[in-house]
This record gives sequence, C-alpha cells and structure tokens, in this order.
Amino acid sequence: MLYLIRKMRSQFNSWALLSFIFSILIILPALLIMVQLFAESNENWEHIKEFMLKNYIINSVTLVIFTGLFTVIIGVCAAWLVTAYTFPLQRFFKWGMILPLAIPPYIGAYTYHGILNYTGVIQTNLRNHFDIKVDQKFFDIMNIPGAIFIFTLFLYPYVFIITRSFLENQSSSLIENARILGKSSFQTFIQVVLPISRTAIVGGVSLVILEVFNDYGVVKYFGIQTFSTAIFQAWFGMGDIQSAIKLAGTLMVIVVFILIAEKLIRGRKRYSYSTSKVRPLQPKELKGWKKYSVLSLFLTWFAFAFLIPSIQLLQWVYMTYDVILNEVFLDLIWNSVFVASIGSALIVITALIIANFSRLSKGWFSQFFSKITVLGYSLPGAVIAIGVLTLFLALDQKVIVLYEWIGLEPTLVLSLSISMLIFAYVVRFLAVGYNSIESGFEKVGTAFTDASRTLGMSVTKTFFKVDIKMIKGAVAGGFILVFVDILKELPLTLILQPFNFYTLATKTFQYASDERIHEASVSSIVIIFISALSIFFLHKVLEKEPK
Amino acid sequence: MFVQIKDLTFNYKNSRKPLFENLSLGFKQGEVTVILGQSGSGKSTLLRLIAGLEIPARGSISIDRAVMNDSLRFVQPEKRGVGLVFQDYALFPHMTVEKNIKFGLHKMSRKQKQNRMEELLTLVGMEEFASRYPYELSGGQQQRVALARALAPNPSLIMFDEPFSNLDSKLQEQIRDDLKDIIKLTGITSIFVTHDEEDARAIGDRIVLMHDGKIQEAGRPEAVFKKNREKLSLAYV
Repeated sequence: MLYLIRKMRSQFNSWALLSFIFSILIILPALLIMVQLFAESNENWEHIKEFMLKNYIINSVTLVIFTGLFTVIIGVCAAWLVTAYTFPLQRFFKWGMILPLAIPPYIGAYTYHGILNYTGVIQTNLRNHFDIKVDQKFFDIMNIPGAIFIFTLFLYPYVFIITRSFLENQSSSLIENARILGKSSFQTFIQVVLPISRTAIVGGVSLVILEVFNDYGVVKYFGIQTFSTAIFQAWFGMGDIQSAIKLAGTLMVIVVFILIAEKLIRGRKRYSYSTSKVRPLQPKELKGWKKYSVLSLFLTWFAFAFLIPSIQLLQWVYMTYDVILNEVFLDLIWNSVFVASIGSALIVITALIIANFSRLSKGWFSQFFSKITVLGYSLPGAVIAIGVLTLFLALDQKVIVLYEWIGLEPTLVLSLSISMLIFAYVVRFLAVGYNSIESGFEKVGTAFTDASRTLGMSVTKTFFKVDIKMIKGAVAGGFILVFVDILKELPLTLILQPFNFYTLATKTFQYASDERIHEASVSSIVIIFISALSIFFLHKVLEKEPK
Repeated sequence: MFVQIKDLTFNYKNSRKPLFENLSLGFKQGEVTVILGQSGSGKSTLLRLIAGLEIPARGSISIDRAVMNDSLRFVQPEKRGVGLVFQDYALFPHMTVEKNIKFGLHKMSRKQKQNRMEELLTLVGMEEFASRYPYELSGGQQQRVALARALAPNPSLIMFDEPFSNLDSKLQEQIRDDLKDIIKLTGITSIFVTHDEEDARAIGDRIVLMHDGKIQEAGRPEAVFKKNREKLSLAYV
C-alpha cells in the first residue's frame, strides 16, 4: 500500500493534472448526451421516433453502405495500380489521387449540381449549339444515388492513402513471392493483396463512414433526410434541444457500434511480419494497351474528382469575383483564419500535454487519457455541437446566478460566444493533432528525455529544451492538418457560430443553399486552394524527407 | 558501500514474472564495477533503476548514504546527481557539442560554464569540436562527447550502458583504454554494463555476473573468470 501511494506520488505532477482536466473536458459533451439519452422524452421525440426515425436510419445507412463499397473499390484498385505498376504520370498520381480530399463534399455537391442543372454548362451548350433538350431526370443528382456519387468522388482518398502506404511499405516480400510462385497479376491482387490489406482497408473505410455520418452539407443541399439534418431540424426548426439530444445520442450509439465492429473485423488479424526489413515494392512497367487504358482510367477519375469541379469553380470565380471580393469577404477570411488558428493552437497544446504525459508514465491511467482524445473524431460534428451546446447552456445557468448575485444584468454569455465554437473544434479535432504528435514522439523515443533528466532537468524543462524541439515537424504537421479541417468544417460551425459570425465554409453553404452558387465559388476556391496546398506539403514534401 | 541496493523487486508492466526479486548489491566508492550478462539479463534495467528512470515495486536504493527510494520516498532522476552514458549516446541532435555539454550545468555563471566545458573537452581530447553538431562526428567522437556531457555536472556516480556496442572492434579497444584512463583520472565511482567479456576484463576492478535478473557471482575479475570459465564459455560461444 505504501508503495502504491509512493508510486502515485512519484508520477503525479502538473502534467498528470492537466491531462486529467483536459480529458474530462473532452468527454463531458458526449457524457452529457449519454445521460440525457435516457431522460424522459417529450412529445416531439415520440413523434420523431414513431414516424421519422426509421427513415433517417434507412437513408443514413444506405449512404454509408454504398459510399463505403464504392470508395473501397476505387481506393484499393487505385492504390494497387500506382504501387505495383509504372505508367505515364504514375508518380504524379501517387499523391495527385489524394487531391480530391481538398474539395469538401458539400462544395463538390453544389458544383456538380451547378454543372448538371438546367442552366448549367452542359445543358446550356446542348440547347444552344445542338438544339438538344434532355430529359431532366437523367441530369438530376439531388437524390440518394447522387449523394453517393459525390461522397465517393471526394472521400475515396481516405481508403487510397492508407492502402497505398500499406502496400508500399509492408507487402513487397509477399507480393514478390506470389509472382515467383507463378500467380498472374490479377490472381496476386485477389489472393494476396486484398486479404493482407484488409486491416488497412477497414481503417480507411471507417474514416469514410465517419465522414458520411458527419456530413450535413451534401444531404441538406440534396434534400435527403438523415440524422444530421434531423438534428438541425430539431434544434433550429423546433427549438427542441431535448429531441436534438436524443437524435444525437442515437447516432452516437450507432457510431460506437460501428467502431466496435471495426475493432472486431480487424481483430486478431493484425498482420505483422516476422521480418523487420521494410523494402518498397518494385513496380512493374505496363506496356501497350494496358498502359493506355490504366492511364485513361486515372485521368478520367482525376478529372471528375478534381479537375472538372475546380475548373467550373474557377469560371464562376471569374464571373463573380468583382462582386464578392470586398471587405465583407476579407472579414470572412479573417474569421476563418482566426478560429482555425486558435483552435489548432489549443489542440496542439492539449495534444502535446496529454501525449507527453502518456508516453512518460506507462500506467493504464495515462493510456486511458490517450484513448479519450480519439473520441471526438469518431462523433459526427452535429452530435458534438449539441453536446457542447448543452454543456454551455448549463454553465450559463450557473453564470446567470452568479451575475444576479453580483448585481449585473443576466445574459447568456458563454453559449453566445465564440469560445463555445472553439471548444467544440478542440473536442472534434483533437485526435487529428494528437495522432501526428504521438507518432512524432514514437519516432524519437525516450532516450533523449532520459538523458536530459539524468543531467538534472525536470520533466517540464526537458519538454521545452529537448522534447518539443525534436518533434517540431510533427507539431507543424499536426497544426496544418487541424487548421485545414477546421477551415472546411461545416455542421458544427453552423450550429455553434455566434450570431452574425460566418466562416468561409458556412458562408459558402449559405450562398449555395440560397441558390447563389456562383457567389459561393470564391470562398470555395479559397478553401480548396489552402487544403490542396497542405496536401501537397504533407504528402509530397514531407514524404520525401529521409525517415 | 557508496551505492547500496537492498531487496530490490521490479517488474515491467507487461510481464507477470518480476525481472528482479529481492536483489541486493553494493558498489564501493572509487571502484569500477562491470556488470556482465547476456541481453535480457536485466543489467541495463538495473542502471535505469539506479538513475531513477524506472520505479521499483519494492526495496531501497541509496547513493552516498542518501536514500533515493524506499517505501516512502522516490527521488526524481534529475535530483539524483548521477551520470549516465547511453548505449546510443542520446546526444541532443539539435545542439552543438558545446551546448550538449553545458546542458547539465546549472547554477553556474556563464564564465564558469564555459570553463567547465573546455575543461571536459580537453579531458576527452575533443577541444576542436565544440561547435560541431553530433551528426558531424564519428561514433567514437560521439561517445567522448557523451562521456564529457555526463561528467560535466560532476556526478558522484557515473554509469555506462553498453558503451562500446556501437563501435567497430578496432576502435573499441582504443576507446576502452582511453575511457579507463579518464575514469581513473577523475577517480569517480563507475558502473559499466556490457555483454563483452573482453571489455569486462579490461576495465573492471570488480565483476558482477548477472543472469536472468539474478547475481551469479561477484568479485575480482581473475577470480570470477577462473571460477566461471565453463559457464562463461558456454554462454558466450
């Protein structure tokens, strides 16, 4: 017992305390939702449950299943082709195929609608130059298949990135052996590549699924009823936070169920290899018709997922920039950069503290903290928004009492302020920053920290003088990733943004919802440009660095 | 005894069987002790326990009559005044040789720090390398810097974790002799950990044979080697 107390005392420091406080703050919103899920229900909720819930579930699940299926097919095939073969532009496509990730699905959705609708570029040209009038039903993408098309186009890179890096780094000996044993390329792909990449594929597709659940922009714009739209409807349409909480809680249960399923599917088959030698796979050169057909496949896909929407947006920018580019737009950029910078900085600091604590003290307690950071990223933005809103409304109740006690005019201070939005960003995206920083720490190991401590530096001094300087790259990478994620974020921002406060993302969505899609293009292009730049930086520049 | 370990029990988080069980061992002042054992015998962990980098489950460790840990106390590594030269040196890659050596010097004026740094570079024969970065040095030079860095704060005890394992065999012999001279010159109490019998024979005033977390033999090198010839040759063939 004495030893237990001494052990706790020897590991207890300000790092442990801060990690504890941050972790509690991170789980609080989810906890509040869970508690209220079992609270007594009101009339609205009974109505929703009886008549609408089934529909939400069917729509959400349909979107998830088909998007998952198509992203796996496209992501895995593309990953296999760029790693196993060389063909013209193959080196570009290795990271170029990630670029569609720069286009948030809601921007892709309204852009494609703008291209395909009656006044869009295709139909206008067909009418004016060829006098062809088309049946509108072939050009209508504002339905569930259309949403699946949009999600697949812009979300497949999650599967592509993870599968590609797995195939590149870990599979060479197995694939080469299959070839030596006389298997054709196709047989190798089916019998070896697919089974061994299963964990990578499941990892990628679970990110896709979480993104689809998170989405509000696409389904709202296309008029599809899902959980996200229902949560918005309950809160903004009916002002009924209780029903919003119940919906969020139900969605949370579904997501947790999926995450458990993912763990089970990955399960024991966590392939790792007896050999520690990591040798990249030697690609085979494609010749003749194969070369050209693979190239044209990639070009077509890249055109649909990146070039066409970008060019269309640029044309709209050309049409509208003189109206849009004014002080109001500068304000938008400032707002976006402001919340994204503060949010990213807070996330990086929180992640550094928790990651450093959990790496230095190896107990289950600290491991628990590091698991908690992942929570927010698994939950859809609307769920987190409702959780955070509940938390801040409850806090305001306390603040009002305090205000009255002091004798000031009581107002809803916290829940109307920007701090609520930024706090929600931290909950939602902490995992993104944390993963980057944790892997930075893992690469460096603890030898330098140990050395510093035996030279008389405390944990905190060591952190500032040694640790943080050695993982600068990982910290910068984490900051950039989070920054871009916040910049693109829509559902959470829509619910929590203070009155009259817009970001690039929410303004884009507002324009698009008002059918002013041309006006939406300028802010869209800014978002896409910054995202693309960060993808280029993280996947092209950083990957070249010797490891 | 200068360093006294009593009834030490330690296990790593993921293993059920303790690595050390009621281990007791002492080190005399000014003596060079070599702990000899195969990998996995627990010798490096013992150094980490003395340095305070691992927390024992039970038992006590005292250095220079001051208790470092027992059932009530645990002195953090930065308060122990112990030097440790790491297996791969762990020189801070973002600092020059000069900065690395000055890193452990606290509560000194700038002038004093400079003097101490120069003194140590002279001791290890690296006067010309003060402004180099670790990656600009050879393995042997890095090791000298690591030694200088560990000695700089004037620790009462210095420990070496497999100090020669990253050097090629030709260099190894020369550095070993140099190191021995430097240690003798400072008169500091030292503990070496190695799996190499030659190293042990060349450096140690006293040898501790360790196997599977247990001490098998301790004493003068000649006596230990004579008594355990068979066991050693079996283990090291």
